[in-house]
Amino acid sequence: MKNTSDEKILEEANLWINANHKVALVTVIKTWGSSPRQVGSKMIVNEKGEFLGSISGGCVESSIIEESLKLLKDNKLFKKIEFKVTNQNAWEVGLACGGEITIYLEQIN
Amino acid sequence: MKKQILENIISKKNNKEEFAIVTNISNGENFIFEKNKIIDKNFEKYSDEIKNYFNNKQNGIIENTDIFIDTYFRPIKVIVVGAVHITQFLLDYIKNLNFEIFIIDPRDYFASEKRFPNMNIINKWPIEAFEEIKTDSSTALIALTHDPKIDDPALKHALKNKFFYIGALGSKKTHLNRCQRLKEAGFKEEEVNSIHGPIGINLGGKSSPEIALSITAQLVLESHKL
Repeated sequence: MKNTSDEKILEEANLWINANHKVALVTVIKTWGSSPRQVGSKMIVNEKGEFLGSISGGCVESSIIEESLKLLKDNKLFKKIEFKVTNQNAWEVGLACGGEITIYLEQIN
Repeated sequence: MKKQILENIISKKNNKEEFAIVTNISNGENFIFEKNKIIDKNFEKYSDEIKNYFNNKQNGIIENTDIFIDTYFRPIKVIVVGAVHITQFLLDYIKNLNFEIFIIDPRDYFASEKRFPNMNIINKWPIEAFEEIKTDSSTALIALTHDPKIDDPALKHALKNKFFYIGALGSKKTHLNRCQRLKEAGFKEEEVNSIHGPIGINLGGKSSPEIALSITAQLVLESHKL
């Protein structure tokens, strides 16, 4: 898989850190079926809930922002989260497109 | 991820180096894999698989492990000859893509830092400029001056070095004349016909941003055929 775009997410993450923000780096690490963003896609979230980049077409971002805020607040280093097809019991949000994705959150420290 | 690793990744990206970020998703450890460097001892037992992913330019989790690999490859080079109005719009589009971009224009009032902030500008004639840039079959040329003095030497260099994409701005008539000149200079018919001219996918628009968009679309299309 070629990296065909250059979104400067990591560069921005470094600027946020240098501005004394806490930053969670979020990466798509696995996909099944028709998920909108490919493996390696990234997003960053800071302690204020500000974010940049995307890991789905908007389907699971809100949930990931909450998870990132929790990670930063609890000062945890990493977390893995799986999103499946919309399933009210498991998650508030899901992928309308029917795909599945696994997301990895890590705090930059 | 440690800040030091993040800074390392950014510097490697800036230097257009090839590497992979390898992460153990069960304990949060990362290291930067490089082709000819020793693999971190915590990741040693996965070295064959890591190399495999890297060589196949692949991202993903190694099967039956908790090891995730995110590869970074040297971007395709795109050389734009002519720092004209269309070039300004073109760069707005293509700077978001993973290309290493150079602008060549011997006319310093066109190729100025003010018109093209933070870009690689080579303020020289194409023949001199190409001495500074290593080019090959994964390089693209976009010739936009439609001045034979500037465009033709660049087109000849691109044809000789078998660039994967060569596009030249100009009307059908301008392009016919250009093809004629190149044939007279000894290039074969099929070589000359490989030049995309008039440049761009025909979207119907004639304004500078629309032409820039049509060139971007064609460049992306051709780069995915590599």
